[in-house]
Amino acid sequence: MWTVGIDVGGTFTDLYARNSATDEARTGKVLTTPRDRVLGVIGAITDAGLQPGEIGLLVHGTTTATNALIERSFPTAAMITTEGFRDVLEIGRMHREHLYRPYQTKPEPLIRRRHRHVLNERTTAQGLVETPVDLAELDRIIDRIAEDGVKSVAVCLINSYVNPSNEQAVAARVAERLPGVAVVTSAAVKPIFREHTRFSTTAVRAVLLPVMASYFERLQAVLASQNFAGKLMILKSNGGMMSVDQARTRVEELVESGPAGGIGYAAQITGMTGYRNIIHTDVGGTSFDTSIVEDGRGLITREYEIEFDVPVAVPMLDIRSIGAGGGSLGWIDAGGSLRVGPMSAGSEPGPACYGRGGTRPTITDANLVLGRLSPDLSGKFTLDHEAARKAVATLAEPLGISVEACAEGMIRIATEAMAQAVKIVLASRGRDPRDFALASFGGAGPMHACAVAAALQTPAVIVPRYSGVASAYGATRLPLKHDEEVFHFAAFGPDALPQVQARLAAIEGQAVATLVAQGAALADVLVTRVMRMRYAGQTFEVDVGQDAKAIAAGDTAALSEAFHATHAREFGVRSDDFAIEIVALAVTAEARTGEPSGADSDPPPPLSSAPPGSRPVFFNGTWTDAPVIATSAATRAEVTGPAMIEDPHTCIVVPPGWRARFDSHLNCILEVQA
Amino acid sequence: MTATPIDPVTFEVLRNTFEYVCARMTLILKKSSFSPILSENLDFSNAIYDPDLRLIGQTANCPVHLAAMHFSVQAVARKFGKDGLKPGDVVVLNDPYDGGTHINDVTLTMPVYDGDHLIGFAVSRGHWMDLGGGGPGGQGFGTHVAGEGLRLPPLKLYEGYRLNPDLLEIMLRNSRTPHYIKGDLQAHMGALLAAEEELQATARKYGRDTLLRGMGEMIQYTERIVRAAIANIPDGEYHAADYADSDGISDAKVWVRVKLTVKGTDIHVDFTGSDGQVAGAINSPYANTTAAVYTALQFFLAPDAPPNAGMFAPITLTLPDDCWLNAKWPAPVVGCTTVTSGKVQSAIWQAVAQAIPGLAIAPTCADANWFVAAVRGPGGRIDVFSDIPAGGWGGTPYNDGLSVTLDPLGNCTNMPAEAAELLYPVHVQAFDLRADSGGPGQNRGGLGARFRFRFLGGGELSIETSRTIDGSPGVNGGGSSPVQVLVQERPDGGREVIGGVRADGSWKSPLLSSHRFAPGDAFEFLSTGGGGWGPARDRDPARVLDDVLDGYITAGHARAAYGVALTPDGRSIDAAATAALRNL
Repeated sequence: MWTVGIDVGGTFTDLYARNSATDEARTGKVLTTPRDRVLGVIGAITDAGLQPGEIGLLVHGTTTATNALIERSFPTAAMITTEGFRDVLEIGRMHREHLYRPYQTKPEPLIRRRHRHVLNERTTAQGLVETPVDLAELDRIIDRIAEDGVKSVAVCLINSYVNPSNEQAVAARVAERLPGVAVVTSAAVKPIFREHTRFSTTAVRAVLLPVMASYFERLQAVLASQNFAGKLMILKSNGGMMSVDQARTRVEELVESGPAGGIGYAAQITGMTGYRNIIHTDVGGTSFDTSIVEDGRGLITREYEIEFDVPVAVPMLDIRSIGAGGGSLGWIDAGGSLRVGPMSAGSEPGPACYGRGGTRPTITDANLVLGRLSPDLSGKFTLDHEAARKAVATLAEPLGISVEACAEGMIRIATEAMAQAVKIVLASRGRDPRDFALASFGGAGPMHACAVAAALQTPAVIVPRYSGVASAYGATRLPLKHDEEVFHFAAFGPDALPQVQARLAAIEGQAVATLVAQGAALADVLVTRVMRMRYAGQTFEVDVGQDAKAIAAGDTAALSEAFHATHAREFGVRSDDFAIEIVALAVTAEARTGEPSGADSDPPPPLSSAPPGSRPVFFNGTWTDAPVIATSAATRAEVTGPAMIEDPHTCIVVPPGWRARFDSHLNCILEVQA
Repeated sequence: MTATPIDPVTFEVLRNTFEYVCARMTLILKKSSFSPILSENLDFSNAIYDPDLRLIGQTANCPVHLAAMHFSVQAVARKFGKDGLKPGDVVVLNDPYDGGTHINDVTLTMPVYDGDHLIGFAVSRGHWMDLGGGGPGGQGFGTHVAGEGLRLPPLKLYEGYRLNPDLLEIMLRNSRTPHYIKGDLQAHMGALLAAEEELQATARKYGRDTLLRGMGEMIQYTERIVRAAIANIPDGEYHAADYADSDGISDAKVWVRVKLTVKGTDIHVDFTGSDGQVAGAINSPYANTTAAVYTALQFFLAPDAPPNAGMFAPITLTLPDDCWLNAKWPAPVVGCTTVTSGKVQSAIWQAVAQAIPGLAIAPTCADANWFVAAVRGPGGRIDVFSDIPAGGWGGTPYNDGLSVTLDPLGNCTNMPAEAAELLYPVHVQAFDLRADSGGPGQNRGGLGARFRFRFLGGGELSIETSRTIDGSPGVNGGGSSPVQVLVQERPDGGREVIGGVRADGSWKSPLLSSHRFAPGDAFEFLSTGGGGWGPARDRDPARVLDDVLDGYITAGHARAAYGVALTPDGRSIDAAATAALRNL
């Protein structure tokens, strides 16, 4: 049977497959089918010469959730909230994104004000129901919701994190009266205090539920119709995976489902190459994603915002995205300057050279014009060189420069923007790009990686063996992973521990059971425990990783020392002047399944029979004749730039002044020539 | 001596480092402080300065701290001399007349050394909940600064990283909220130590000379950007005015009058003609007025440039000697940051609107609406609850103004209702949008808010605000927003306007000092939105309909202010009636 990873990106759907019996590995790549992304999934399987019936485990990463949020393309959702709090989603935390920009606006609320309804009800901060739900009043709201054609309802009541009974009463009534409408309560999504973060996370789940339900339904139906009988797993934002049944309800955890696989791969690279600090970059058709992997782990944030002041309170890989990719369009602004992106030609119509009706120049067209991209992409269809030139000429002419100069300018602008995005990620954590190696993923990545690295002065670039299908490959290397969290307020001390132990054990049990239900062997499950603690009087907590033995033994000295040490590490100070409080408890359960991590034992590809060729390539204002070498041949000898290293899914551009060599895992390492 | 400029990559790294140092200080202060006004409202700023006392970087959750902190570092240097400080010394001050602005803004300054060499100063300023005075949070509204709390000249709170316990004891004994002070000090100290660590690491990595040169180049870089922007504004003299409703002692309006002179790449701001020093607590020390001027202009000069001393160089000021914007001891000043800065900024924006009408935006609510309440809890325990329910921003040439966003002078966040109710004996009953509160316009003002909480055990409340006589003015033919209103509601539902215009048309000053609330009484505040941009009748009727459907405006307002009539079900436009209204 085959283990298969599939990543549906903005432009391409990528596949990596490995046969556990024969060690054979295959890849596939087809254009994404935005109107029905399932077609692309099936297309990728076919492209790799596989049948769904041969797949034992299918791990799937998808950008469907992210796209729906960014484009606000989801069925109408409604919110029912406490009187006086109708605008929590819209007011946010009352601040602004840019300190001094006079014309700034804030993101459109996920649920429009006309669909946000208020109810006279109240629970106190101590959990007392002061005003119970009035069903007659609620029914009038439900009538309105029915009339508005709403597909999902977020129930977000003040103080529900401490007592969810009013929320549950509302949800029950809505479910009873509106079967077929999805209902979510904020306490069930995330029982944390501070209404804005909880309501926002709840709104994200509510708007995504119908989108993802219909996507997964269709995916499963089509796979089943083609005799798929294996397990279907979905990548999630925390860098793990979950079953499709879990994913169907925990949709807010799919926001970074796409890039998660690539970061899993980047983490594996740190083990293979000896570079401990890696800048992960992924250039797809429409976007450029970047993040940091240090010591084999992607950095996790709990303060992720989809857009400014639109938080999703789930643990997520800290990834930054900008609109720059192979499909990014070149254009001329009102001031007559050449600009690139963030708009993209996507997969339909795609770049002009695809011959699918696109006439506007993209980065891919620019690369083709300059000879950096092989005209017979993947050997599958031939790129239209003339169409690319014509498209770029539409910009070159008004600018009064040559087509080549214009194409090279477009690429320089795009790579500068990519470098800038990397700098922001590094700077926000105070890192220096010179201490990192840049790992380049995505179909369009290795064409630009050296230029981005040069702009950052990053000394080395790694193009991993499966960089062209990185997220798909990485997907097969991720563990099952599940987070649980519970609000539990207590003064820290020996008296508090029995209850803490009991509640931790309860959520630990839930988390473990969730993994086992998804196919993990109990013995493989690894649990980490976190107490959110603070000095009594503070309002924010620190996440303190706690040792299970210390918890079980009630070792207050060890537990409090862990808190003091964490506080000192994060904030530089600690004190015995203050009492300690526990605010919440959380666990993360992980289990490896499928492919073992670490070793990459895929056999090397057969030596290409194609003789090394050459073609004219434009660099730094002049044409040079540069060698074109098949990847399989390049692995056997060092390559000096300018040169192209090509295989069906990847084209590595080795600019003048750079050299490339392959390591034993067939990762390509590029360095500036000494 | 001519130094070769720093290579572009190192320059970029240093630029990011200065930003990052301040961002890290901010994160530490937010996450580890004890006062909710710091941790939830983020009413603080962190900055770094070079050895020559020039601003190098700042995260300004409160832009109005921006230039004002500069005066703090100068006061420290004046008092101790650079040679009088050692590693680990931390100087505290809050004296409005010696490096501070209002007493609640406590500033801590720490010199940073690379070996024996001074490489800069780390400065952390936070709004402390209470340092005594005649009303909670220093909002005593007397006629003498002594009534506003404990005044601290520059004093060494730490020497060689060791706390001076006597000084701490004095602060603890003079506060209504001593329980916050130790924890907040610890948080400020964490922020300063982080800056020290980061600057020292940068000096080690790139060399001290490179670091110091980078600081200088960064300032020049910002100054170039600012001057280029000024060059784009037509030369000329532009006049404008705005006012505070009252100083809380007399009912007279207090005026800011400003003349903006743009010439080449310089701007001169002249406040001659503004009112003299007033008896009440809204006088503004020089440092605060300066900060308001820079903040206001920054929006139209260099919104994205690195915030440093380069922003200040092209801008000069004239302040008359007897002026409420140039306060002298012993004038009371507690309202300077929240009331007065807004009026200075609003007047400057109106002057800018004359210089570059197509690019200007309409004035904002121009008030922070800062209230402080002493709230009585179980066992008679008194705590101090404070928040800043914002108003809206003015319409812009491109879009409607921001709704319920803290005024330009600050960028603080609100206190979440659930956080407030965990901490204090209050029920927060509403914080939502106030319909019809944006100034009508082709692009309307953003909306203000309805904010309301109930005192479970009673207490007293102080607040200082304005815009209760006129709302936020519009520009380019846009309309103004409605006035702000302060209401006290009894448990039986009886409502009384305690600030602003009452039902009988009489008016009461919106500066309230220790106003009493019985158990169960609620305080309701209706903030105003921003002014409108362009004539309201030029607004696309479809946008007006959308506003009605979303409840941003009422159907009556659509008709009266925008000349748009809706069908009886309120769901679509009555085209004929609208045409008739608009052709009147």
